[in-house]
Amino acid sequence: MTELFLIAHIADRGVAIEGGLVDSVVDIGEMVAVPRAPAAIRGLAALRSRVVTVIDTRVALGLPPTETPRRAVIARVDGHLYAFLVDSLEDVAPHERLPMTAGASLGSGWACEGRGIVDRDGEPLLIIDLAALIPGGLAAAA
Amino acid sequence: MLAPMDDLLQEFVAETRETLEALSGEIVLWEAAPADRARLDAIFRFVHTVKGSCGFLDLPRLGHLAHVAEEVLAQVRDGQRTPDTGLVSAVLAIVDRIGELTDAIDAGRSSDDTTDDLLIAALAEDAAPAATPVAETPQHARAVNRSVRLGVELLDRMMAGMSDMVLARNELARRLRDGDVDPRVEGALDRLSLTVAEMRDTITRTRMQRIDALFSPIPRMVRDLAAPLGKQVALSIEGGDVELDREMIELLRDPFVHIIRNAVDHGIGSPADRREVGKLETGNLRICARQSGNQILIEIEDDGRGVNTDRLVEKAIAAGILSELDAQRLGDQARTDLIFHAGLSSRDTVTAVSGRGVGMDVVRANIEQIGGRVAVRNRPGQGLSLILQVPLTLSIIPTIVLAVGGQRYAMPRQSIEEIVSLANPSVRIDPLGGGRIATLRGERLPLVSLGDVLGIDDAATVLAIVTTRDGHFALAADAVLDAEELVVKPAAPAVMASGLFAGQTLPDSGLPLLLLDGAGIAAAADLRFNAPIAAPAAEQEVGRPGIQALLFDDLAGRRRAVALAAVDRVETVSSHDIRDSGGRLHLTVAGGVVPLVACGPLRDGSVDVLRLTDGATEIAYAIGEAQEIAALPRALAPARRAGIAGIALVAGEQVELIDAHALFAGEIAPVAERPLCLLRCDGTGWMDVFLRPVVEAAGYRCIDDAGGGEATLTLAMDDDPAADPAAIRLARAPGGPGIYRYDRAALSAALAAHSGRAA
Repeated sequence: MTELFLIAHIADRGVAIEGGLVDSVVDIGEMVAVPRAPAAIRGLAALRSRVVTVIDTRVALGLPPTETPRRAVIARVDGHLYAFLVDSLEDVAPHERLPMTAGASLGSGWACEGRGIVDRDGEPLLIIDLAALIPGGLAAAA
Repeated sequence: MLAPMDDLLQEFVAETRETLEALSGEIVLWEAAPADRARLDAIFRFVHTVKGSCGFLDLPRLGHLAHVAEEVLAQVRDGQRTPDTGLVSAVLAIVDRIGELTDAIDAGRSSDDTTDDLLIAALAEDAAPAATPVAETPQHARAVNRSVRLGVELLDRMMAGMSDMVLARNELARRLRDGDVDPRVEGALDRLSLTVAEMRDTITRTRMQRIDALFSPIPRMVRDLAAPLGKQVALSIEGGDVELDREMIELLRDPFVHIIRNAVDHGIGSPADRREVGKLETGNLRICARQSGNQILIEIEDDGRGVNTDRLVEKAIAAGILSELDAQRLGDQARTDLIFHAGLSSRDTVTAVSGRGVGMDVVRANIEQIGGRVAVRNRPGQGLSLILQVPLTLSIIPTIVLAVGGQRYAMPRQSIEEIVSLANPSVRIDPLGGGRIATLRGERLPLVSLGDVLGIDDAATVLAIVTTRDGHFALAADAVLDAEELVVKPAAPAVMASGLFAGQTLPDSGLPLLLLDGAGIAAAADLRFNAPIAAPAAEQEVGRPGIQALLFDDLAGRRRAVALAAVDRVETVSSHDIRDSGGRLHLTVAGGVVPLVACGPLRDGSVDVLRLTDGATEIAYAIGEAQEIAALPRALAPARRAGIAGIALVAGEQVELIDAHALFAGEIAPVAERPLCLLRCDGTGWMDVFLRPVVEAAGYRCIDDAGGGEATLTLAMDDDPAADPAAIRLARAPGGPGIYRYDRAALSAALAAHSGRAA
């Protein structure tokens, strides 16, 4: 059985994002900082008349912050809109979800985000769960 | 002709029509298969609902039709009757008639009722199938329905679309401003702006509902509450046409019911109780709504007992919410506000009506949640008023925009008491331990730097005095930028987690803005408003401590102390309540007047006073400012000034201890111990007006009725036939029997002689 995945690049790696969660893909404009929030919260941005919370996916994965945030994937989680920063986006395509390769070590923050892999023309891409990237979010529940 | 349709009736009509439309298919199917239980149930539910609503709306004719149809259907459901064609047709005829009548109600005209009986007769078990009358279809045009029922969700989407439009308009305007613009384009933009603004108002109005929706169940509720308690309550409701956001009305419902319940159950006494205190047997409950700017004020006022604040304070102390010291410092309003504390109620008993564990604390929490405030005005023995202040809509909050370190934050206007510039000479900032204290017009407030709390470098120039439920504090910010009305939405949980923010919003600038939460900032800054005051001072004392005393600065600025046991409470009073009357200063208090001692000139405006008591007599002592409570050393240096018991050394400072004995010894005996004088008034009023003050000045208490107590002395006019022989007679003219009524010396001597005997 195949599912739709959005193929993107985060931290210079190709990843597959479950298509069902994705609302839209946008260019993020000016952001407002949120003091005293977890580091992965890059700030707030306006998306038409709504406010989105911008998640720096690199920080959420335990990497240094994104230098110039631009492209983002918008997803609605628990009634709130989030923008997940990505390096670049490729396309949306149906893929088959494959179990994680036994014994593969993902390293740093990636470990808990892996939800399996997809095979794109022989290249394995890690499936990531956007909700699990939200700090204090649903990592435990997922 | 029917009365003008009210909201409920309109709702009924809309609902009945909707169900009828949905039901029409069922009816046809039931006709085809009368044994179909599911169709039968659907029709049964319909007539049952109509019957219920008719009883409530007082529509007897419609109600009767629905009732007979329901009965027949119930019989069919129970298997007592079989749904043959005749029965089905008869029921359907009734359903049709219900539809016709509903249309008639909507159109506000009457409908021919002569065939109703025929319809009902057709339902009878022995009715011949052929006898089913064909209802004459009235040839009136069906009234055009001018109302539509909408889900709130759809309205929310309209509102969101509207906000998008405003932002798009703003951006367009910004872009146009940058370049050279054709005046025609500018004109079009202006027209667009105007339309958008009007549209925004209209859409906001779609969410509004008359507050009647909240008030209309109250008369019934009050009646149902009062009757089992044997109370009589006259209810008056004003301002039902004030409009409020629908959602707001729903959120107000529970707190409102609770307040009414309290008023009827606790506030208004039984007729017997009310008679005893000289009130009319019927209690009054007044509910009044009015709009004030973008706030709605709802006042609920009763003329019952009010709140027993002494009892509240006792309970608060017992529950450990207040220390005795704090309790004494509370003003009347603060004492009353204790009813908002969880678990405190001035009532000792739980009754069937209220007291189910939902207290005023919940009411306040609910109101504050929707951005409102609750104020309480207590008149002990005379009643209680509660004033609910809520914003017009849930979503639009008036805010003040603060700047700190180049960033902007909004704060609800209702939580900001005032804004002062740090350049203002009346503001003083002092370090206090690791923190800072702001002093504003003599009031000390903990100072919190917004920059520190948010972790931003700041350059504070203004102080916002922020009120929270627990207390006030001064918040230092760089600048106040603006006052703006904002549509506030909850922010993502990870943003809210710090507790500093109450929500987020997108102002017309197009940049998101966070709304600060005053209570959250106080918590983050570790402010503790209920910390015990000056308790450590007492602990430092070594050896056997002396008496506990309240230290204060007197009117002349001298540090003085008075035994804590003698202090009933510390109070701030208005200088208007202090009068030089009867040869000395008196302070007007709730229960009468008490003598006031002032060792210096009194300020105009508000004056702090100590209310001192020895258990029977009360004295007020005006002071400059209360300081702290400390244990005095046992050894006092003797004093030479009158009224000072000695000099104590407290924390290296000389403190004069007030001689409480001297203070009270200088006072006259309490009123209750005065001898009684019976004035046999003759109806001319002379005794009451001329004589009574003289007698009272001589230390008597006057009564004009023998039943009022055993009089030491009776005064009567010379011509009073019924007077006691022992009475002192007053002659109208010189030389008459007894004392001439204007012979003041003789009169005073006689009064003094009897008074001495009594003592």
